[in-house]
Amino acid sequence: MITIDHVSKHYQMGTVTVTALQDVSLQVNKGEFVVILGPSGSGKTTLLNMLSALDRPTIGKISINGQDITSASRTDHFKFRRETIGFIFQSFNLFPSLTALENVQFAVDMRGNGNHRNGSRAAIAQEVLTQVGLGERVRHFPHELSGGEQQRVAIARALAMGNPILLADEPTGELDFRTGIQILQLLQEQALNGKTVLVVTHNREISRVADRVVELSSGQIVRDGPPQGGKAAISDLHW
Amino acid sequence: MRQVQFWLRWSWRDLKARWLQVLAIGIIIALGTGVFSGFGGQKKWRIHSLDESYERLNTYDLRMTLTDGSYLEKEALLDTLRDVNGVTGVESRLIIATQVDASQDDETILVQGEIVGVDVAAGGPHINQLYRNQGRDFTEDDSGQNVAIVEYKFAKHYDLKPGDALHISGDIPLDFVGTGQSSEYFYIIPAEGVFLGEASYAVLFMPLETVQNIARREGLVNSVVMTLEDGVDRKAVEAEIETRMAQAFPDTGFEMNTRQEDNIYKLAYSDAENDQVTWDIIAYLFLIGAAMGAFNLAGRMVEAQRRQIGIGMALGVPRFWIAFRPLLVGLQIAISGMVFGLIFGAILSTVFGNIVKDFAPLPYWIIELDMATFLRAAVVGFLLPFVATLIPTIRAVRVNPIDAIQSGTLVAKGGGWTKLLNYLPIPGRSFARMPFRNILRAPWRTTLTILGVAVAITLMVMFVGFLDTFVATMDEADEALLGRGGNRVQVNLNFFYPVDTPNIQALDDLKTAEGEPLLAETEPRLMLGGTLKRGDTEIPTMLELVKMDSPIWRPTFVEGSLKAGEDGIVLSEKAAKDLEVEVGDTITLEHPLREGTFSFRMMSSEVRVTAIHNNPMRSLNYMDMSSAGMMGLEGQTNLLVVTPSQYANVNDIKRALFSQPGVSSVVGVQEYLDAFDEVLRLFTLFLRVVQIVVLFMAFLIAFNSTSINVDERVREIATMFAFGLPVRTVTRMQIVENILIGIFGTLVGLLAGWLLLQRFLAARVEDQLEDINLVIVLAPTTILISLLLGVLVVALTPILSIRRMLRMDIPSTIRYVE
Ligand SMILES: Nc1ncnc2c1ncn2[C@@H]1O[C@H](COP(=O)(O)OP(=O)(O)OP(=O)(O)O)[C@@H](O)[C@H]1O
Ligand SMILES: [Mg+2]
Repeated sequence: MITIDHVSKHYQMGTVTVTALQDVSLQVNKGEFVVILGPSGSGKTTLLNMLSALDRPTIGKISINGQDITSASRTDHFKFRRETIGFIFQSFNLFPSLTALENVQFAVDMRGNGNHRNGSRAAIAQEVLTQVGLGERVRHFPHELSGGEQQRVAIARALAMGNPILLADEPTGELDFRTGIQILQLLQEQALNGKTVLVVTHNREISRVADRVVELSSGQIVRDGPPQGGKAAISDLHW
Repeated sequence: MRQVQFWLRWSWRDLKARWLQVLAIGIIIALGTGVFSGFGGQKKWRIHSLDESYERLNTYDLRMTLTDGSYLEKEALLDTLRDVNGVTGVESRLIIATQVDASQDDETILVQGEIVGVDVAAGGPHINQLYRNQGRDFTEDDSGQNVAIVEYKFAKHYDLKPGDALHISGDIPLDFVGTGQSSEYFYIIPAEGVFLGEASYAVLFMPLETVQNIARREGLVNSVVMTLEDGVDRKAVEAEIETRMAQAFPDTGFEMNTRQEDNIYKLAYSDAENDQVTWDIIAYLFLIGAAMGAFNLAGRMVEAQRRQIGIGMALGVPRFWIAFRPLLVGLQIAISGMVFGLIFGAILSTVFGNIVKDFAPLPYWIIELDMATFLRAAVVGFLLPFVATLIPTIRAVRVNPIDAIQSGTLVAKGGGWTKLLNYLPIPGRSFARMPFRNILRAPWRTTLTILGVAVAITLMVMFVGFLDTFVATMDEADEALLGRGGNRVQVNLNFFYPVDTPNIQALDDLKTAEGEPLLAETEPRLMLGGTLKRGDTEIPTMLELVKMDSPIWRPTFVEGSLKAGEDGIVLSEKAAKDLEVEVGDTITLEHPLREGTFSFRMMSSEVRVTAIHNNPMRSLNYMDMSSAGMMGLEGQTNLLVVTPSQYANVNDIKRALFSQPGVSSVVGVQEYLDAFDEVLRLFTLFLRVVQIVVLFMAFLIAFNSTSINVDERVREIATMFAFGLPVRTVTRMQIVENILIGIFGTLVGLLAGWLLLQRFLAARVEDQLEDINLVIVLAPTTILISLLLGVLVVALTPILSIRRMLRMDIPSTIRYVE
């Protein structure tokens, strides 16, 4: 369970203070599928960064499964990210020197403790890549893939971590309608399997598939509840 | 104007962001230009120092030396020479051979030497003045007193100070008042082939009258030094002197030489010249190393900006402005390189100067950074970063903007060899593979880094290789010279004596004396100068006639044999090689033949080479004692080899034999080798300095390379952190990458160093070390240490980036799409 308790994030730029998040409080339960909606610059990425312990809030407290991550040490943060979080970055951040398969395998490797032989780890990676519809291009390097394909590799990488919380920053931004739908379905399935999934988007239409939409504006939560007009089936979306 | 400001501000930001790299590259260039100018100008300042020393000591223009054993009345001689046309000053000396006992409480110092009696009247000597290092100068009152100024190098070698005990032949005690230097003794070379003469030959300066009294040569002199008018015709002066001398002293032979003909003078200057060849090679290697390093690093800094350059082009910024930023970085590097190069060059000049000072002391030193050489280096150092930044900049502005912009096509291309590697299974996790991929994904860049490291290692291997070769050659000489007879003592006689003369018998009696005899064994030998000839090749040699069944010592054969009583010659390996002969061939030996008691003539004989011995010194060659008849020296000896009994040591023997009639010197063979050790010590000291510089350069190249790696991969690294990959794993990956680079670089460096060492030493052997059969080796420890240091230094540099990684703002780094 994720508990965000009166969290604010300020950036001090000389004399100017930029407020990215302003007194945000939120609870997300295990297995929930939550969409975070908001215009550009509203603080969505900042919020995910706090949740994944990439960054610390200026004020407030975040605890995950009862564990306070705001006061945890740097080393604990690394461990926490390794064992709890799967992150899909807004800008993919694939490793250019690794192939698509290896990028995903990287995540499998991160899980550690697997006494998998090389082959079986590659097999897991291959399987996840097939799930995102990229079974064919596994031997390609990131710069040989299109933006959408790169994004799917990034998603596969996050899934391959196998961690209980999945954070996706604009996972459908670069994708066409059909693929976008597939990805959303995939993420939703993860929630059905018991993972907590938070998906960031500025696309209101996408938010309709969620049980719960948290709307951010200028760093503040302006709305929290089921999507306006009720939850829609994925097949009903138009983008 | 506003535009200039804008770009300047931008490049100032660049500088702030990478000042450490700029500085490091600047220092690498500085090491190159500094060594280049510090070493490159060495000849110049050594020659300046020599000029200065010769001038300030008012060194003679013309020197007259009377034939050995001849003396002339001082006043009569001076009168004859004083008013010769063109002569501006004349001073006479009396130089006599002596034995010097400078033994101190804890050390026996008994050596051959000479006393130079100089005219101390009126504050002299005025020509060939003495430079005083310690103690006091001579005064007029010293005339006739037993006071001595000891030649500085001898005093320094044995750490003697004014006031220490000092005796000369006849057990005459001297008042040791000072140490000093004279231009005629800048090098001490008492005899052919004697190395580091200052350890075994003492020069004492004393007042002329004192020497005349001691030598019982009242009023007599045997040497004259003269100064001449500037621009005077020397030949005419010499001719006039010869005429006058023939008139005044028709029976006295003499020789004249100008300062420039002086052997010491020639040696001093040619040493400075020849040494420069060595330093030049070193300097160029350093410069090349620095160039390679700087080129690589500056290029990579530009390379890292390619996307920005591409974006600039896409936005239509004029190429000039696009190129402006990277070139400004080049300028910053150039300036820091210049500044540090100047400082570093000056420091090196001083350090190096001090070592030279210690090794070949001169009274006056003008150690300066040679500006001309420095400027030459500085121009290179200045242009280098420019070219290094210009080339990749031009390449960058010429590509299609889109290629530059597209995510990392150029910086982080994964194609090329990586494709190949795709099919090569590398075991381990995906992040274990990354170091290999990173190395292969930019082969050119990797190659440059490897070469940079390699050059540093090459330099180190070369220097240590010198030392190894030196040591190995010495070891070989050691073994050959000592063998089983390491405690033997050579007693050189001042002439040939029949082995049954009383003074030789007296030595023999020391074996059988009652109670505790001094000697265990004695053996007469012969030592003669000669020449080995075959075809056009002529090799001067010291021929030693040894009883080939000697229980004390005889040469060790590596090939062939020579038994007692047999004819034939045993050649050194180098002599055989140079003469192109093998065992069984015949050579011509030019040797002295005794015709009367005091008359010898040279003659040639054909001798068969029957064996090769193991001493690396070319000039040492041996025959059996039975060949003495060939030289008309049957039953004669001029060299006794003795060994101490169980009751005595080498010093006891020296002490006992020193005053024996006919003995000119007593030297333990071990002492010859000790002299080399002294040279080795200095050599090693110098090499340590170079080694540190070399390692520092390797370190800087590696450091910069890693630091640029971190820059280039900063987003990757942040992403890994975001996935929770610990800093230590990321560092380990970088270390693995650097180990690979270090191993390749070191291997290439070892190989290049080895090849250069051989070529270089081979070349040196031809022009300078022709007398030694160098055993060119790299000691296994050298190889190991180079490998270790090379790999270690390079491998460990990523540790220096840990702090940077720890302080990384992960979200910002990830957020920012370059
Ligand atoms: N390191 C930083 N320093 C200063 N301001 C920052 C920093 N990081 C983020 N901000 C500011 O915080 C605010 C929120 O940024 P954030 O990236 O969370 O927006 P976002 O909702 O993800 O926008 P988008 O949809 O465009 O990705 C923005 O105004 C941004 O300028
Ligand atoms: Mg965002």
